[in-house]
Amino acid sequence: MKSILSALLTALLNLQFWIFAPLLTAIFALIAVPYAVAFNYTVRDRRRTLRLIRRSISYYGAMIVRCGWPLVRVRYVDHAPDETPPFVFASNHRSSSDAFLMGCLPFECIQALNIWPSRLWVVGRVGRIAGYLKVREMPFEQFLDDGSKLLAEGCSIIVFPEGTRSGSRRLGPFHGAAFRLAQQCGVKVVPIAICGNERIPPRGSLLLRPGRIVVNKLPAITPSQYAGMTPFKLKNLVRDAIRQHLDNQSGV
Amino acid sequence: MTEAEVIEAVNEVFVDSFEIPREQLTPEAQIFGDLGLDSLDVVDLVAAIQKRFGVQVRDDERVRAIRSMRDLYNYLILIRGEQHRA
Repeated sequence: MKSILSALLTALLNLQFWIFAPLLTAIFALIAVPYAVAFNYTVRDRRRTLRLIRRSISYYGAMIVRCGWPLVRVRYVDHAPDETPPFVFASNHRSSSDAFLMGCLPFECIQALNIWPSRLWVVGRVGRIAGYLKVREMPFEQFLDDGSKLLAEGCSIIVFPEGTRSGSRRLGPFHGAAFRLAQQCGVKVVPIAICGNERIPPRGSLLLRPGRIVVNKLPAITPSQYAGMTPFKLKNLVRDAIRQHLDNQSGV
Repeated sequence: MTEAEVIEAVNEVFVDSFEIPREQLTPEAQIFGDLGLDSLDVVDLVAAIQKRFGVQVRDDERVRAIRSMRDLYNYLILIRGEQHRA
């Protein structure tokens, strides 16, 4: 009886999510997009407009994950709040919700996109306007050029160096492109450890399972700490920092 | 260079260039999966191998088939043999 009630409640809260999330997306498209266009037309400052668009996308992401409340509870923990951007954020990737969870980061950011998200109609177009990097569809040299310009402007870059979501608690091997970019530009690399969302939603499903998600912004690895390291060593240092944190939080 | 010396030299490249512990460098180890190299690291690996062995392998199609350390050892032993005969 208890399990039937629990399943019913989960179904109802999923219904709540799948009503509010598309509604919020529509409101975002109807209000934020014209507002950004009007802002750009009035202010005529490309830099300020881009900052507005990127922060709006972050707010949108943060609101989407909150549409799952109380089925899904999200907490953001900054383990080094005094650090100043720009950063290269490197996060583990368990679920499709990770891209939305990055809205928790209170910084101007863009994400490096894999092939399939960049081909989604809304994500692809809004991402292109905001300067998201289609990392799998551009030559490495162009990734370095575009990434360097963004970091020089003060915009942080979020990458999921596993390349694809694991759908489990497993942490896959890392790709090194973003770490080479950080080394070239001399910016801090910040490991992000997301725990609790491997089944929110499970891979290949749209059904949210109940759970608590914690987004941990770990202390940055500074240019002086990674000076002289190979990109290979740096990426594994970041991977180890994330893995250690996830191991310590294995109950989450 | 004997086969054992080639294997030792390849292992040295991995230790020097990537700081991978020697105990992980077994013939069965997968270069991408177990050792964690990516496509950009492979570019660095090819450069280090070319420098260490004094060979040009960048344009050799057989390089694309290399997956494990055993494949790499065998390939370099073969290359050294070809170089010796030429």
